[in-house]
This record gives sequence, structure tokens and C-alpha cells, in this order.
Amino acid sequence: MGCSAGTRGQETAKYSERAVKWEHLGMQPTIAPERIDETHDDAVTEAERPWLVIVWNDPINLMSYVTYVLQKLFGYSREKATKLMLQVHNEGRSVVSSSSREKAELDCYRLHSYGLWATMTKSD
Amino acid sequence: MPDLGRAGDGTIEVQLEGYEAELLRRLCGEMRLLLEADLPRADPVTDRIFPRAYEDAGDEDAYRELVGTTLKDYKLEALDAVEGALGEEGPARVSLKDEDRDRWLTFLTDTRLALGTRLGVTEETMTREPDPDSPDAVALSVLHWVGWIQEQILEKAMEDG
Repeated sequence: MGCSAGTRGQETAKYSERAVKWEHLGMQPTIAPERIDETHDDAVTEAERPWLVIVWNDPINLMSYVTYVLQKLFGYSREKATKLMLQVHNEGRSVVSSSSREKAELDCYRLHSYGLWATMTKSD
Repeated sequence: MPDLGRAGDGTIEVQLEGYEAELLRRLCGEMRLLLEADLPRADPVTDRIFPRAYEDAGDEDAYRELVGTTLKDYKLEALDAVEGALGEEGPARVSLKDEDRDRWLTFLTDTRLALGTRLGVTEETMTREPDPDSPDAVALSVLHWVGWIQEQILEKAMEDG
């Protein structure tokens, strides 16, 4: 993805030090104060690009269920959730949220807990 | 088919005949074995129930470490709730309020994902009537039956908008 191997190594090390305790759905992760992102000069542009959470089509989940989950987790209206669900169904995937890395991870986690197939990637 | 109703306060009532409750109890047992087995990630069912968040292997490993057992614990909690509500034997009458409703939906989804992935279903096979002579016919019927219950719960849940 978007970062060099070296940067990624550093990030990973920093990342695994996170004192994050994830409780169940709807809970915010409690992040230790020292974990607040330090932004390096050379990473400013990187940091500005949001992380996208993508829901992928699968043949098993019910369309009504995908709509229900999107409404529930993101507070989307029925109309918006249905539109995103149809995009997943017809086009194979849909971006359901765009945010910081931490928020995207939590979104992915919550989608996985509900059984949706979701991944995250940095936007281009 | 199970009988579902909705009370004025939004509680969903599910009434299951003895054989229906028994089938769900068996599915609970199967899912417990599966969730507690810690199958390798290469297993397609594991990969579907605990999907990857990142494409990059290093990022994914770090993410896994962060998530730890919380995802599995959540799924086991949903399973416990369903198993508890079904009781040990006989028909079952279950009242689903907000949290229970989502626990049931989670369990029914995981069960369908496990069955469907093991069977290798596609969009096409999911819309076709199962061939009664196929060795997968029974499992496919169970998959559709669980989907029917899920659809009914969702229909009642979404009456609120």
C-alpha cells in the first residue's frame, strides 16, 4: 500500500505498542495518551489521506441484513444504507466510510463482528 | 416454519416447534466447535468469519494482535445467548429485545456464513431450489431455513425504520 517498507516497519512497531482495549460493538477503543499520533514532516501528505472501509459482495449475506447493519453501525438513513447495499450487490463493493486509520479499524472490526466482509485501504 | 410476532414495545417473539429448536441447538453445538477450534487462517470458513482487514500482511498481523480474541469472544457470546434462550430441550419461545436481537442476527449470520462457505455457494446456487439428489441438499435447505428466520427477524426489526 501507500508506504515504504521502512516506514511500515516503524509504524507496525508503534502500532503493536498500542494500549487499546476493544470492548464489544459500539464501544470506542480506549487509546493510551502516548498513542496519539505524532505526525512526522515527511508523513503529512500520507496522514491527510483518509482510510476507506470497503464492504464486499458475498453470496450468503441477505440484502436486508446488509442494509440493517449499515444503518445500525453508521447511523445511515434507510435510503442511504439501501443505496450502499445495492452498490455492494451490483458492483461487487462499496466504500461505506472514510476516516482516520483508528476509526477505519474499528469500523472494520464492527462490520466483521456482524459478519460482513469488509477491508480497509488508504485512499488514492 | 417458526412463528414470529412483534409486540408493541418492539420485542420480537419467536416461537419454535420442538424439531426447529432442536435444529438450532445442533447448529449452536456445531458453531461452538468451529469457533473454539482455532482453525488455521487458510481455512476458508475461518477466513470468512474472521476476515482480513488489510491486504498488507504486516498491517494485518498488527491488526490481529490489536483485535486479539475480542471478535471470537463476541461471536461466542452471541452463541451463548442463543443457546441459553433455546433451553435444553423441547419447543422454545424466545423474546428478542435490542441486544438479543443483534446477538441472534450475529449467530444466524455466522452459521450461514460457515455453512455457505463450506458448501461453496454462489449467487446462482443461492437463488436456485436445492437439487434433492445432491449430497448438499440437506445442508442447503438448512442454510435457507436459517436465512428465512433471519429475514423474518429483520423484517420485524425494520418496521421501526
